[in-house]
Amino acid sequence: MLDRASTFADQEVLALLKDKFVAVAIDQWYTRRQQDSEGEFWRKIAGQSPRSDFRQTQQGLFLAGADGSLLGFTNNRGPERVRGLLQQAARDYTPLADLKPLERQTTDAKYKAELPPGAVVVRVRARVDGGYAPTDDRWEAMFQSAVSRDNLWITAEEQAALAQGIVPEALALRILRFHLVDNTRGEPPVWTKEEVRQWSLSVADGQLTGTAHLETADGSRGYQATLRGELAWGADGGLSQFHLWVDGQFWGSGPFTRQPPPGKFPLVIAFSLADGTDAADAIAPHGSRGWLDGYLKP
Amino acid sequence: MIRTIGTICGFLLGLGGAWTSVSAQDSGLSQLGQQCAAVGGDDQAAWRTIDWQTDLIVAQQRAVEQQKPLFIWAMDGHPLGCT
Repeated sequence: MLDRASTFADQEVLALLKDKFVAVAIDQWYTRRQQDSEGEFWRKIAGQSPRSDFRQTQQGLFLAGADGSLLGFTNNRGPERVRGLLQQAARDYTPLADLKPLERQTTDAKYKAELPPGAVVVRVRARVDGGYAPTDDRWEAMFQSAVSRDNLWITAEEQAALAQGIVPEALALRILRFHLVDNTRGEPPVWTKEEVRQWSLSVADGQLTGTAHLETADGSRGYQATLRGELAWGADGGLSQFHLWVDGQFWGSGPFTRQPPPGKFPLVIAFSLADGTDAADAIAPHGSRGWLDGYLKP
Repeated sequence: MIRTIGTICGFLLGLGGAWTSVSAQDSGLSQLGQQCAAVGGDDQAAWRTIDWQTDLIVAQQRAVEQQKPLFIWAMDGHPLGCT
């Protein structure tokens, strides 16, 4: 999120990326593990950087030639630093005359979660709606106003069940465990089955209503919320509309979502059917990382 | 089952075709859609104007074709779709 609000909000960085580079965004947690053509190319690039230990995170911004040679690396989010790196790489880069495009020889299915046939993608956005102490710090202010992004997948069978007035338990638990999270400051912990203390979710006449109480065993993190949604179906029986509004009080944080507002704070989460116009619509849900079945059948 | 039709929401979200062709009389629906759209305000941000690739092999192929270097945004969690 920080990158989106800082590095990629800089007009000069944007112009350089659009004119001089081919920009690619990856979840390196997947890519460094992939035993396939893409993983191999990634390890070639990252292996030349300070982030060459493939057992550790390889987060950062990398500049590389199309042959995989490393041209630059930084994990500094400051636009000034990134701008300098981009300018130097754009100036110095000499493409190899006889370089061929890579052919994808293999794909590691374990790390390539595919949208099931007939499934729809729903965009999920979350925002903390108050509770932070006022700040003059630029970076802190970015976190406080952050809107998180993720995708929810709803299978064809689940869409048909909803049309019959049934909320499949797998869908309900998927929404509760993987999407009712505070991911506005970083990668969130998802809820375990045991942490789903109470829930209700029903659908009638295209209206989805429910409640949720999620809480860790020690009570240090939790969310109590109401859910309200509106659905519509197309002629093919698939969802043509899915809006879900979740509003409640959240408390606590995870290892990568530290510095939440003190005590209980309002967290709203909005779901809307994706239309495929955003590159992120093709990204697998964060909760499916490494185990799609566990996400689809929680 | 009464099938709910909602279109102002689709219109507000900039969605295409069928979504915008239906009646906008469903007031409850449009209100909810507006709420949802308001949370997604970040969707109009500058970073989205970049033609992000999400596959390194495809990106390499384009880099060869366009004779440009690669810029790789690598994160824990997908940069475009997580957090």
